[in-house]
Amino acid sequence: MPVSAAYVSKEAATNLWRNRLMTVAAILTVAVSLALVGSSLLLKQGASKATVQWQNGVQAIVWVKPAAGATLTTSIGSELHQSPYIKSCVFRSQSYDYSEAKGILPADELDATSQADYPSSYRCVLNDPSQASQVYQQFTGKAGVASVKYPGQQIKTMQSVIRILQWVFLSVAVVLLLSASVLILNTIRMAIFARRREVSVMKLVGATNWFIRLPFMAEGLIQGLAGAVVAVLVVLALYFGIGLDTPKTAANQGSIIAQMSLGGWEVAGTCILVAVVGVVVGVVGSAFAVRRFLDV
Amino acid sequence: MIKFQNVTKTYKGSTVALRDCSVEIDKGEFVFLVGPSGSGKTTFIRLLLREEMPDSGRIWEAGKEIGHLAKWRIPYLRRNIGCVFQDFRLLPNKSVFENVAFALEVIGRPKHVIATQVPQVLDLVGLTKKRDNLPHELSGGEQQRVAVARAFVNRPLILLADEPTGNLDPTTSLGIMKLLDRINRTGTTVIIATHDAGMVDQMRRRVIELDRGVLVRDQAHGVYGIDSATAAAGAGSPTGSMVEQAPTALSTNELPDSFAART
Repeated sequence: MPVSAAYVSKEAATNLWRNRLMTVAAILTVAVSLALVGSSLLLKQGASKATVQWQNGVQAIVWVKPAAGATLTTSIGSELHQSPYIKSCVFRSQSYDYSEAKGILPADELDATSQADYPSSYRCVLNDPSQASQVYQQFTGKAGVASVKYPGQQIKTMQSVIRILQWVFLSVAVVLLLSASVLILNTIRMAIFARRREVSVMKLVGATNWFIRLPFMAEGLIQGLAGAVVAVLVVLALYFGIGLDTPKTAANQGSIIAQMSLGGWEVAGTCILVAVVGVVVGVVGSAFAVRRFLDV
Repeated sequence: MIKFQNVTKTYKGSTVALRDCSVEIDKGEFVFLVGPSGSGKTTFIRLLLREEMPDSGRIWEAGKEIGHLAKWRIPYLRRNIGCVFQDFRLLPNKSVFENVAFALEVIGRPKHVIATQVPQVLDLVGLTKKRDNLPHELSGGEQQRVAVARAFVNRPLILLADEPTGNLDPTTSLGIMKLLDRINRTGTTVIIATHDAGMVDQMRRRVIELDRGVLVRDQAHGVYGIDSATAAAGAGSPTGSMVEQAPTALSTNELPDSFAART
C-alpha cells in the first residue's frame, strides 16, 4: 500500500509542533555543526586555491630600480635565467608596468608620477613554487634590484593557520553532529512515546510497518534538513561576507582573500555536501529511534 | 477458519501459558473462551493476532498457517481480524467518527469508502447521534460500542474480544453482547475471552475452557462453569440462549443491507 506524502508530512509536522522545544534544539545543533563543517570546507578550498600563483602563473616578481641602466637590467635578467630555481622569466618594461599601474592606482596618484618613476620587472615562474624564498634571498639587495616579491610567505602562514583551524572545526563538528543525532533520536523517541496509543491502534487494525514508521522518519529528516538549511545560509554569509566571491584580478592580487577566491560551483558543492550530511544525520538519528523504540 | 494444532506457548520465567492446545473454530461460530486469570485466554488471542509466536505447534487462520507468515504480511493478516479490549483503547483526542475512521485511514482506504462505511457501522452500534463526541463524553458502554465499531468497520472475518465487558455493569454488558451477537449473524466469527459467567450462561454458545494453559472443556452450548451450570439448572433458568428469548430485537432484518448481505 502506498503511503501518501500528504499523510506523512502532516503527521510529521504535527509531531514536530508538539515537540517544538526539542525540535529547535536539535535543528540548532545540526545547524551549528554543519556550519562548522561547511566553513572549514570553504577555508580548505580557499587555501588550496591560494597555493596557485599570481596571474599568468607568476610566482615571483623582481622589481628593477627605475634608475638602473639597461646593462644592469640585462645582467639581472641573465642571472635570473641562470638561477636553478627559476623556470622562466618575462621582462616587463617600464612602459608596461606604467600601463598596468594605470589600471590599479587612483587617478590623482597616477598624475603625480610619470612613466620614468616606474620600475621595470622580471615576472618569473619557478620550478618549485615553495622555493620562492630562495629566489628572494638570492636577489634581494642586489645592485639594481628594488625588491623581490612573492606570495609564498603570507600564503604559508595562512595555510598553516587554516590547516589547524580546519582540524579544530572538523573535530568540533563531528562531536556536534553526534550530539545532533542523539538529540534527533531523543525527539523522535518522545514523539513515539507521545503517540504510543495511536501506534498500538494502528498495529491492531493492520497498518503496515512503513505506514507507521515513515512519519517519524520524515520528522528526523525534516530536522536534519532544517539544520542544514541554516548551515547553508551561514556558509553563504561567510562566502559573500568576507568577499570570497570576488574574482581574482590584477587589481586585488595582493589580497589574501582574493587569493582564496572561490567560484560559484565550489560553494554550491559545499552547500550540497552540507545539505546531504544534514539529511543523513536526521535520517540516521530517526532510523535508530524507530528501530529501537517503535516495536512494529 | 481457525485451527490450533498442539500449540504450546511458554513465557520467560517458565510460566506455561498454553500447553498442547488443539482446537478448531469454524467460520461464523460464536465462541466463549473462559477460565480463571492466567489460564491462557489472552495468550490465545495474542497468538491469533500474531503478537506472539507459539513455541511449538501450528496455527491456521483463514486457510493460512500464520507461523509461516513473513513479517511484512502480518498487518494484512490483522486487517482480517477485528479486536476489542477491556480498556476500549480509543484515541482520546479523536471524536467517535474519527476513531472509527482511523481504522480505515491507516490501512489506506479512500475517503469515499470511509464516508460511507463509518456512518453505516455507527448506525449498527447505535451511536449515529454521538458521532462528534469525544470518548470522555461517552459512558463506558458507549465507548465499548465505539471500539466494536472500529473493530468491525473493515468487515473482518474474525472478531476477537478480550474481556469486552470487564469494565461494564451487567445491563451495559448485555447490550455489548447483543451487539457482538448481531455482528456474528453477519457471518463474522466471534471469539470472546471472558470472566462474565452470567453472560456465558445466558448466551448458551460454544464454550472453550482453559485452565493453567490446558484446554479442559469444549462444549457446544456450554455454560461458564460446572457450578454455574448446576445452579442455573437448579434455578430453572431457560435452556435457550438470550438471543432466542429476544429474537425480534436481534433480527438480521434490522441490520443495514450491507451487513445483512454478508455471508
